[in-house]
Order: sequence, then C-alpha cells, then structure tokens
Amino acid sequence: MRKTLLLLSMILLAAVSCTKTGAPSSKKLIIAVIPKGTTHEFWKSIHAGSNKAASELSAQGTDVEVIWKGPLREDDREQQIQVVEGFAAQGVNGMVLAPLDDRALVRPVSDAKRAGVPTVIIDSGLQSSDFVSFVATDNRKGGLLAADRMGQLLNGKGKVIVLRYAEGSASTTEREAGFLDEIKAKFPGIELISTNQYAGATRETAKRAAENLLNQFGEDVQGIFTPNESSTAGMLLALQDIGKAGKVSFVGFDASQTFIDAINANQLHGIVVQNPFNMGYLGVKTMVESLQGKPVQQKIDTGVMLVTKDNLSSPDVQTLLHPPLDQYLK
Amino acid sequence: MVADIKQTRTFWRVGLLQTWLNRLGPVLGLLLVILVFSVLMDTPARFLSPNNLRIVLSQTVIVAIGAIGMTLIIISGGIDLAVGSTIALTGVVTALGINAGLSPTLALALGILTGGLVGIVNGLVITRLKVVPFIATLGMLGIARGIAKWLASQQTVNMPGTWLNELLVMFPDPPWLLVAPGVWITIVLAIAAAIVLRNTVFGRRVFALGSNEAAARACGIATDRLKIWIYALAGLLFGLAGVMQMSRLRQGDPTVAAGSELDIIAAVVIGGGSLSGGEGSILGSMIGALIMAFLRNGCQQIGWPNYIQEIIIGAIIVVAVAIDRWRTRV
Repeated sequence: MRKTLLLLSMILLAAVSCTKTGAPSSKKLIIAVIPKGTTHEFWKSIHAGSNKAASELSAQGTDVEVIWKGPLREDDREQQIQVVEGFAAQGVNGMVLAPLDDRALVRPVSDAKRAGVPTVIIDSGLQSSDFVSFVATDNRKGGLLAADRMGQLLNGKGKVIVLRYAEGSASTTEREAGFLDEIKAKFPGIELISTNQYAGATRETAKRAAENLLNQFGEDVQGIFTPNESSTAGMLLALQDIGKAGKVSFVGFDASQTFIDAINANQLHGIVVQNPFNMGYLGVKTMVESLQGKPVQQKIDTGVMLVTKDNLSSPDVQTLLHPPLDQYLK
Repeated sequence: MVADIKQTRTFWRVGLLQTWLNRLGPVLGLLLVILVFSVLMDTPARFLSPNNLRIVLSQTVIVAIGAIGMTLIIISGGIDLAVGSTIALTGVVTALGINAGLSPTLALALGILTGGLVGIVNGLVITRLKVVPFIATLGMLGIARGIAKWLASQQTVNMPGTWLNELLVMFPDPPWLLVAPGVWITIVLAIAAAIVLRNTVFGRRVFALGSNEAAARACGIATDRLKIWIYALAGLLFGLAGVMQMSRLRQGDPTVAAGSELDIIAAVVIGGGSLSGGEGSILGSMIGALIMAFLRNGCQQIGWPNYIQEIIIGAIIVVAVAIDRWRTRV
C-alpha cells in the first residue's frame, strides 16, 4: 500500500515537474487559432494575419507558433467546442477563437480559462467575461455605412429589401440592425418592403431565397442590402440571371473577386469590407501581449470600410482587398 | 355467397381507390400547395406567373436529378446519404476540369463520371465488404466532402464562363426553349428512367431486389452485380446534379449542398417511395421535389419566416408517409 502510494506520488511529481519545466524551457508560445470554417477567403486572410503576427513577434525575440485548426464541418458548433476542449487539454499557451455561437462556446472558453489557457475572441461576440479581449469588426458601424450609401444612392427615397443572413449569427444580426436603424432614423423616405427573410448558410440557399423574393418584389424594389459574402453572392447571381443587375441599387458586405468585377460593371454599388487580415494579426498579437503581462484593451476595433467604384483603385483599398496571403500562407 | 360477392366488390373498389391514390396522391398534394398559396397571397398573379414557374423549375432541377437516382436506390431497398457530398465533389471536379483547359463537354463528362465512380465505390463497399448501405454511404458522405475540399484547396473554385453556366438560367437562349436547358434535361432523364423502371428487365429486377432480396437471388438475379449497377447509375445522375449545382453558382463550391441528401430522400418519400424497398415511382419523386420547391418559394414570397416553412415541410413528409401506410393497410 505504502509502496503504491509512493509510486503514485512519484509519478505525480514527475508529471507536475514535467509540465512546469517542459513548456517554458523552450520559451516558445503556442497559440491556437480557431476559425469558424476554413474554406472562405475571409478565414484565409485571418490565417495569414495571424501568421504575420507570429513571424513578426518571433523576429522580435518572442518565439511564437500559430496552430490553425477549424471545425471539421463549417457551422458545426459541437465540432468547434471539441476543438476548443482539445486545445485546452493539450495545454497550448493561448487561444484565439472566432466563436460560431455566442452562447454555445461560453462553457468551453470558461473551462479553458480555469485550466490556465486564456482566450482572445475574434470576429463574433461571446456572452461571457472569461476572455482576454474582443478583437473584431464594429459590425453595427458596417451596417450604418451601408445604410448611408443606400440613402445616398436612392436620394433618400425608394423601396428597399434586406435579405438577412442566418438565424442566430451575432455579427450579421448587428449589421442588419445597424442598417435598419440608420435607414429609419436618417431616411424616412425609404420604405423597407421585406426584412424578415433569411438567405441561409450557402450561396445556393441565398440564390434560391433571392430568386423567390425578386419574383415577388422585383418590380417595385429600388435598393437591396445583404449582410455577408454568401448572401451578397447569391443575390448578385439572382439579379444577373433575371437581367436586373445594375438596375437596382445594391449594397453588399465582404469582398471577393466576383464582387469587385460586379462593382466595375456597375452591378454592385458598394460593399462594406472588413479587415480580416488585421483581425488575425491583432488577435494573435493581443494574446501574446496579454501572456507577457502587458495590459490589453477589452475591445479592439479592426476597422470597416465602404468600397465603391470611386475608391476601388486607391492603394488603401487595394491592400485591404488583396492582403499578402501568399507571403504568409505556405 | 352473397357476402363473398360483396367482399370482392368492396375489395375491388378499394383496389381502384388504391391505384388512384397511388398515381394521383402526390399530384393532388402539389396542386393543393399551389392553390393554398394562391389564395393566401396578396398578389397571386406573381406567384402563378410563368416567370415564377421558371424559377421554381430551375430551383428543383438539382434535387429532381438527385431524386431520379435516389428513387432507383430506394426501390432496390438501399439508401444513399452521400448525395450532397457527391454533388459538391463533382461540381468542384468539373470546375477544376474547365480550369485545367478541358472543353466544357469533357469537363461535364468528367463531373458525371466522377459521380459514377463514387457510386461504384459505394456499390463495392456494400456488396464486397458487406457494409449496409446506410453505413457505407454515411462513410462516403465524409470521404467525398473531404476530397472535394482537398481538391479545391479548401476554397471555392472560380472558372471562366462557358456554356455550362447557362444550364439553369431563367431566360434561356434561344428563347423558344421557354425554360432552362437543365429543366429539359431533367424531364428527358425522368421519362427515360420511368420507362427503364417500368418496361425493362433491369427495372423489374430493381423492384424484385427491393421487394425480397432472397427471393430475387433464388430467381437467379445476380443481386450483388445489380446493386453495383444501381449505385453506379445513380452516381452518374448525382454527378450531373453536381454539374448543375456548379452551373447555378458559376463556381465549384466544396461546402455546398450539405444536407441536400435529406431533401432528395424526402422528395422520393413524399412521392410514394418506401424506405423498405420495392416501392416508388419517378413521377412521384419529381412531384415530391416540386412540392418542396413550391413550398419554399411560396413561403418566401408570402413573407413567412423560415421556421414555418421548415415545420410545414416536416409535417408534409410525415403526412405523406402516413397516407402511404394507410394505403397499404386497407
């Protein structure tokens, strides 16, 4: 009995000393970055940005390694929870997480904190205070920018459709709310003829919803707002198919080559663009600063910008639209 | 004696009612859906317009082509859960083919054959490894989706425009086609499949296999080889559905059509297919697909929230199968 106890305590001691000396002896900070998905251009930019932060910090003498791992299936909360739990168990130094859900991820993040793994939240909010900092686009401001552009395009008068993204998505709901509030407050002459329909998760569902809506409202509508990449892409395809692209004032969200072509063709009259590269960069940087004991801000805005045909070729917009992905993703 | 005759008569009458219900049940359901929406809608003219019919038909094509293949499989007593993934994979393969410089016709063939290959693998796993279809295709669901993402380097595959992009446009060129070329392709395939199922030895064997596999084998049908053929044939159709999906989005999207296998199975089931095999019809499945498309289209145009639509579609599946059970009981 005593022997077993002795043996047990020895093993325990060995384990404790291992974890104590093992990780810090290499002095390498391992930061896990967990996106919502991996296929969108948006997440690639975040990945590139976090790699940039890692290589910059490493060059300054703080050795940082970024591990990039998303949920196996996009939009699968359970999978993302498992990824977070996995990293917490593995004992990384910190996590940078874009939560798929503002509540479902609360417990795993709190558990990780208790296990000594702090988290920086990026992109979408989390209903919790157990994280270090929230590094994200000011989504409401993005919605306001889109509304101002819409008011300007329509001279404050006309009928407008909002095709929402998906139920339960915090970031896009804020954009939609920002858009609607600004239109109601600033442009009383604009009538919102449909605001309760959702585009759904993919371009295909968005295109379907857009086609159905346009059949009903296509004759009357003068302005359309869509709050993210897939809903904008689906609406654009639907407008192009019925030959209405360019005849309706259309303001979208997020960037892709297709959208830039559409802006040049006057089919899309503005896109509100976030800065995912900066989000990934600041996410990792904030995490490392906090690990080093420096004070960090509770909330960090990574910036939004309205891109139209007028400013499309400006250098600011160009670096925003074409972040150096190849340089940082190998 | 008199009672006997009476019984025969009622039996005969019930029998007639049965075939009548069999044939017309789904069609009546479809007409009912259209009627209800026309009554409820403020502007029924738009809902019943030729343009809206074009929209709904184009939106149905992918599910309908998938449902032709699925009908074959379900009649034979099998199931395929990998359809959504196969659609994504073949769409990506076709887009990559075009980017690699293949002519659109060759890319189309490549996409369809990829679907066929997936089907053959399913068939081999089911017959050679003796894995039940549910599990075999559940595995393929993940494998095909993973390969799609891998081939696409985890992003959407954009490609230059070809005539493949015109397969599902609302206003076809030349205009005398009236509806998109893809709709005509679907109609021709559906008629061909219905004839094959009803009037050929192959078709009867499929029914025999689904009704009673042991008996079919005892009658000298090489059931294993037949199964491989069925899954391969259905795979070719899923491949074509994938090309259609790519055509609608003008890009190969490895994340698209997740869960569409459930829509496709629902279409077959609403159309009178029985998951225990031996029952089902192509016409029924096509109507089933149309019912779901009209429901989605109508709910959206009336402005009902998505959840109502989900509840209605769910209820219709249950009601359709309940009627089916009642039919077989009497």
